[in-house]
Amino acid sequence: MAPDRNSEAKLSHTAAMILQAIDAGFVYGFSIMEMTGLPSGTVYPAMRRLERDDLIRSQWERQSIADDEQRPPRKYYKLTAAGRATLQSSRKRYPLLERLIPIEEARSL
Amino acid sequence: MKPPLHIAAGAMGLAVRLARLSLRALHLGLLRVASLLVPGSRRAEWWREWHAELWQVRRACAYTGEFCWASEGEIAGFCMGAFQDAFCLWRLGRQSREPQAMPSRSMFMGSAWQCLLFLGVLLGASYAIALLLPGVRAERSLSQCLVRPGLVLIEDADNEDSPRTISSGQYRAWKDRKQEFFDGFAFYRVTQESVDRETAQEGSHGSAGWGVARASSNFFSLLGLPVRFRETDASVDADMPSVILSESLWKREFGANPHVAGSVVRVGLRRATITGVAPQGPWQLPGKVDAWLLEPDSQMVPGGEGYVVAHLTASGKSRMRTARIPIKSFSPNRSPDDLLGIALGNGTPGPWDVFRFAVFLAFLALPAVTSVSLGESSVSLHEISWPRRICRWGFLGVKIALLLPIAHFVSLDLGYGCTALNTNQVVYIELVSTFFICLFGMRWVLSDQRRRCPVCLRRVDHPARVGQLSRTFLAWNGIELMCMGGHSLLHVPSLPTSWFSTPRWLFLDPSWKFLFAGSARE
Repeated sequence: MAPDRNSEAKLSHTAAMILQAIDAGFVYGFSIMEMTGLPSGTVYPAMRRLERDDLIRSQWERQSIADDEQRPPRKYYKLTAAGRATLQSSRKRYPLLERLIPIEEARSL
Repeated sequence: MKPPLHIAAGAMGLAVRLARLSLRALHLGLLRVASLLVPGSRRAEWWREWHAELWQVRRACAYTGEFCWASEGEIAGFCMGAFQDAFCLWRLGRQSREPQAMPSRSMFMGSAWQCLLFLGVLLGASYAIALLLPGVRAERSLSQCLVRPGLVLIEDADNEDSPRTISSGQYRAWKDRKQEFFDGFAFYRVTQESVDRETAQEGSHGSAGWGVARASSNFFSLLGLPVRFRETDASVDADMPSVILSESLWKREFGANPHVAGSVVRVGLRRATITGVAPQGPWQLPGKVDAWLLEPDSQMVPGGEGYVVAHLTASGKSRMRTARIPIKSFSPNRSPDDLLGIALGNGTPGPWDVFRFAVFLAFLALPAVTSVSLGESSVSLHEISWPRRICRWGFLGVKIALLLPIAHFVSLDLGYGCTALNTNQVVYIELVSTFFICLFGMRWVLSDQRRRCPVCLRRVDHPARVGQLSRTFLAWNGIELMCMGGHSLLHVPSLPTSWFSTPRWLFLDPSWKFLFAGSARE
């Protein structure tokens, strides 16, 4: 399903935070929870809706990588082109978004 | 005395380990329960993701390696979020299914299948209620015990004093002679007999006095009464006469034993084998009978007086216009006898007779309440293929075929629903209810058929008012109804005129198809 123009304008602050977190490199559910401080009951349903609207895309980690680190494989999320465009417009709408989750700081982590 | 320190620490460690294990099981259990909400196609992936995330959470919360209730609470809180996620997926799944479900639901509404399903459910419900009513069950069992039609009891009309019996000699003479109006005779006479029951193990039981009808061997076959537990075993002595018990005697004396057939009894001086039990029906023959001793005519006591039952031939039935008819006969010594033939059969009409009569009346009265035309003249039949026409008439036939048993069973439900009513009141209620259900049911069937698209049998809908009433004589006005399959439009005039008196069908050509995108247009 392609996102309509209204969905860009109506993206909630929570959804925008999640997009920002993914863009900052927090790419699986628990890391997004940790970064945003949102509970699991908010983060995961929001990610389902963002994925339904083709703003993010999910991909399973390779089993070999997970085996090397002795943990179960993670499901990683990344922004789509539409998601990136939506995040750009959301940053204009929520100017504090970048300060809440600064990309440079996140990448340094 | 305090336990040593190392023992206390070991017990504590064991308790912590147990608590941790049980909490892990609880967390996984929460996830499992939540997963039940997730659509089946996505459940495995959902479980995998939450299981992996739980591992991350557990590692983050318990990195110190010590047991902490606050950490376990956080993990439980994380697992509780799975319910919100699962509910979200369930809702998304339902939203994605709805666009496909809507057309199929709208396709079913108003279709021929919906109509047939409605009638079928109505029929099933009325039949189920009829099965539950004790009055209906009793009526059914009685109807199975009716004697065959065309039977008469022949009595001596000269003998005013009761009983008006016939001699066995005269019976034999009638039987031996070729008859024009009768094709079968049976004879019986009722006597009080002393009967001894005997079994191989226990010997003879005490004797009892039974009302025994000594009847000709063809008695039950002539009456057409079914005999239960009929003994067909070849080991039964063929020379021994057989005894058929009445149902009341079978229950009273034999405790309703289903293995009674084959038992030997001594009737008077003769031994006889019990070969079955006669049903308890509306017994109309004279004499109180507990058992029938069937014996061949050759063993019949000469000169005995009894009753004769005869079966009429086709010409005999045509002569039998009333329930009683005088019969002239000649005795063996050629003297004329005045006899009386009394028709045997149920005095009150059965449910089936009432039903047939009510349906006949309803079909007679139908033109008074509705037009029996289906408006075929307004349908340009070249538009409809032969299979479609057959389907249309078949649909009408199935509707009528379902309506008639519905009327029958609903009338039975109404008639026998109140146990306080007597037989005549029940018959009256059955008659009236069957009549009205058939009359107005047929009216509905015909009006429903007239409002169905001749192509797809879907009910036309979405009425639109067209034209103005003030311009009736200049331009037509009325209501237009549309087939949702996109096949036709039905014009119904508001005021029938000489040029537009009946509803007309307008068949839509394929150029209209774009209006019905996603519909059932073939």
